[in-house]
Amino acid sequence: MPLSTQSEAGDDQYVLVASLDNAKNLSNILKAITFKDHALFNATANGLKVTVEDSKCLQANAFIQAEIFQEFTIQEDSVSFQVNLTVLLDCLTIFGGSTVPGVTTALRMCYKGYGFPLTLFLEEGGVVTVCKINTQEPEDPIDFEFCSTNVTNKVILQSDSLKEAFSELDMTSEILQITMSPSQPYFRLSTFGNAGNAHYDYPKDSDMMELFQCTKTQTNRYKMSLLKPSTKALALSCKVSVRTDNRGFLSLQYLVRNDDGQICFVEYYCCPDEEVEEE
Amino acid sequence: MGVEIIGKMKFRAKLVDVGCLNHFTRVVNTISKLTKTCTLRLTTDNLFFMLSDKVANGGVSMWCELSQANFFDEFQLEGVSAEANEIYLEFQPENLSRALRTAQNAKSLKIKLTKKHCPCLTLAAELPSLSSVSRVVTHDIPVDVIPRRLWQDLKEPNVPEFDVSIYLPPLKTMKNVVDRMKNLSHHLVVEANLSGEMNLKIETDLVSVSTHFKDLGNPSWGDDASQGPSQDRAAEAMACARVDIKKLQQFLASQQVNPSKAMCNIVNKRMLHFILLHEDVSLQYFIPAVA
Amino acid sequence: MMHVSTERQRASATFQKFSQWLRESEARNGGFWGYSEVWYYGKQNNGTAIDLQTEIQSDAPHTTCEDRTSHKMDCMVTGGNVKVLAKAIHSLSRIGEELYLEPQEDGLALRTVNSSRSAYACFLFAPLFFQKYVPGRNPTFRCKMAVKCVQAVFRSLSSLEKTVERCHIELNVEKSRLTFTLHCKHGLLKTHNLSFQDSESLQAVFDKDSCPNILQAQPRLLVDTVLHFPPSLEEVSVSVSGERVWFRNHVEEEAERSRAMLTELCISAEEFEQFAVSAPTRITFCLKEMRGLLMFAESSGLPVSLYFDEPGRPVVLSLTDSVLEVNFVLATLSEESHPQNHDNTNTDRRARPPPPPDDFMNDDMDFLIAMETTELAAGGSGCSPPQAQDAGMSQLRTRAASEGEEEEEDREEEAEDTGRPPNKKFRSLFFGSVLPTSSQATNQTLRSQDVLASDSEDEDPESS
Repeated sequence: MPLSTQSEAGDDQYVLVASLDNAKNLSNILKAITFKDHALFNATANGLKVTVEDSKCLQANAFIQAEIFQEFTIQEDSVSFQVNLTVLLDCLTIFGGSTVPGVTTALRMCYKGYGFPLTLFLEEGGVVTVCKINTQEPEDPIDFEFCSTNVTNKVILQSDSLKEAFSELDMTSEILQITMSPSQPYFRLSTFGNAGNAHYDYPKDSDMMELFQCTKTQTNRYKMSLLKPSTKALALSCKVSVRTDNRGFLSLQYLVRNDDGQICFVEYYCCPDEEVEEE
Repeated sequence: MGVEIIGKMKFRAKLVDVGCLNHFTRVVNTISKLTKTCTLRLTTDNLFFMLSDKVANGGVSMWCELSQANFFDEFQLEGVSAEANEIYLEFQPENLSRALRTAQNAKSLKIKLTKKHCPCLTLAAELPSLSSVSRVVTHDIPVDVIPRRLWQDLKEPNVPEFDVSIYLPPLKTMKNVVDRMKNLSHHLVVEANLSGEMNLKIETDLVSVSTHFKDLGNPSWGDDASQGPSQDRAAEAMACARVDIKKLQQFLASQQVNPSKAMCNIVNKRMLHFILLHEDVSLQYFIPAVA
Repeated sequence: MMHVSTERQRASATFQKFSQWLRESEARNGGFWGYSEVWYYGKQNNGTAIDLQTEIQSDAPHTTCEDRTSHKMDCMVTGGNVKVLAKAIHSLSRIGEELYLEPQEDGLALRTVNSSRSAYACFLFAPLFFQKYVPGRNPTFRCKMAVKCVQAVFRSLSSLEKTVERCHIELNVEKSRLTFTLHCKHGLLKTHNLSFQDSESLQAVFDKDSCPNILQAQPRLLVDTVLHFPPSLEEVSVSVSGERVWFRNHVEEEAERSRAMLTELCISAEEFEQFAVSAPTRITFCLKEMRGLLMFAESSGLPVSLYFDEPGRPVVLSLTDSVLEVNFVLATLSEESHPQNHDNTNTDRRARPPPPPDDFMNDDMDFLIAMETTELAAGGSGCSPPQAQDAGMSQLRTRAASEGEEEEEDREEEAEDTGRPPNKKFRSLFFGSVLPTSSQATNQTLRSQDVLASDSEDEDPESS
């Protein structure tokens, strides 16, 4: 592999080494959660989890399993660091956003541990770029305590149908209301903006609805500004599962296929907007 | 008002080949992306688009030379006088670019110097129509005629005494990298050596990035005096210049035509001199180094 | 919907005069149905619209909720017509900020007017455009809404035709909402409950049929024409003669005029489906607003007609088919805003549009370069003789083909030249003249220096 000539003497100085033949398999999925500058990286033997949070009400996670990488070596049980996500993305895409078909950027990501920068080696067409990005102290991610046993309503939809709705959402509405019910309207997204209100209804027997498990009628409101960024993850995904629990917490899980057809996951957790009583 | 008649001027040209029209348009588009105002110098054999290194430009300068015979089917010029058979005009290339843009399917394009509400370069294009009578679009582009006594300030710049001369990597690759680097830093260091290696480097508090190009080749300049300093140079020794990244990015983003030859001369810590050559057009661009 | 006025109103009519006429004609015609506000368009020389409106109260009584319940508006649009409706709304959004919606017996009218009251647009969809059309009975429901809000219902035009099967528009009386429901593929239902304001009827008074000039063309021709002008261009001038039409960018500000790029497109009458010109005319109106119509016209494939009269009277852009009638009424600059000598070379074309530049290559524009050497005391007047033998050259004249025109232009140019300050910047340019007239004694000096240019400028109207 061309990049092996770039590695410094002795890979064992790195606590984490991860390689990809196609850097897009990492950069694309990270774009789906880039709504804040900083991200927490946590690597375990299972793979890489990247977390971005917003005002303690929203959390987005991207999971890239170890199997996705051509090489994934970790010297400790868990390696964590915080890094500027926008800078990282600029580095991962240093050779340009769109490339000629067949030409990919190879990536080797190395981390020596606490206090050291994250080092990236990228290569495309014989040209090599080395990036050293400063890391910060990792913070613990919020635990939303969302567990399957407390899930009251769950639907799985094909992403295409939701993509249009999300891109058309009335941004003058401060909240996005989600209604899930075993009876009409089944699954409804609502906005309340300057023009009036708007509702997007998905019937349970629609051919876009892959799974419909709703036990009770629930209507919850979430801040639009928190959920709007999830549109990026939706755009990348082929399926999405929408779940709410008995507290009204929302879990959105997106199934993303990368360039090589491998599956990764992105999930968003969101607290309900507390200013409004549940109807 | 005291005036002295020093001569009359005439310029008219005609272009009929679609390929030449497209090529000419792309050259003008490049110029319009590089500068808001520039000087057009017309001689019997050539057209020159020039920008001199004023403070207003941030110290960059440009010299673009076209051989008129490769573009125009008819080209007639009468300059300010017999011994100074040239015309210098100052204009906004964006206007010319805009005028050419909508004439790409013209049957013919005529350009001449006219006096309308002010001196103008007038373009008239004959366009296809639904009837037997062609549509004609005319654009009057205001220009300023530059008097002869100012011509000495607009001479072709000399090739500087450079430390390293190197062929550039594919401009598209360079542009992609510089585009990203522009998000990360205000300045960029360009360095190269006589072993065909070139690096682009940025460094800030947050991140450092360096891109390495190899096997680029170094042009030989013959027996020029400028070869002097570099002959004693170690093959691996890098000459470098730190420049405003926006200017480099603007230069790379402006290119509309793939050059047949592209090279960069580096004057250590002073200047980058880019030379892009096509069959019938040459473009030189100078970017000064910053501290 | 369109009120045909039987009397011509001059653009410079005063407010009082117009409303007086209106009251008289109301009395004659027994009042107009549902009519409460009328606008007539014209622009004064400073470019502001004359707002000739009168407030005549509608004699329809205000209704209670109970009355309206049983007569509510209810329409259904299906298939490709949904996209047509959406395009109409997007097109209206280019003109004004509010959409006036009025279900009439003869169809659904969507109208708007711009804030300066210099542009009005109306789309009238006949009942046959709809799969179901119930306008609602008297009192007629009329409302206005922010056009952006209605646009939001039909946001993505490209996906509309792929996914929307039908669109239902109905008035929800209890909640005072106008409801747009889009029934889409895969069972998806999009419901938009828009709030509205009750409004007066928005009507413009114009009479297409009495316009002496009519041009009709396929939209492609007009779209290709406006492509030559930058998107930022505000106003365009259209000049017509018996055989040709010229489109020119209009430069408003005096200061800009000397530095602005001028673009002119000349098209033969043969390219038009209809070309009726009573007298050579030039009108100037807002190009942006015309683009609003063209974006709809292009997708409809329907020919666009331009009806116009003299400058100051509105131009009507219109397209129709069996189920739809579209009218855009745009104000034009009145004569006072076309000063005689604002451009010395492209002189008054209202009466004499320029000849086509057939001999472009032969009509040279040669000119002289003059450099300020020393500051001599000569005045700026074009007629003053030279102070010294080789300096102090005064201004020369162009030669027009015909003597009469030549003198007139000479005077025009002279008048303009004297307006210049004597110590103009050194880069001055002058015309060379071949045949000196008696007033151009200075040409003798010039000739002796043998720097005369050849022919006149090619823009001069040639006498045939």
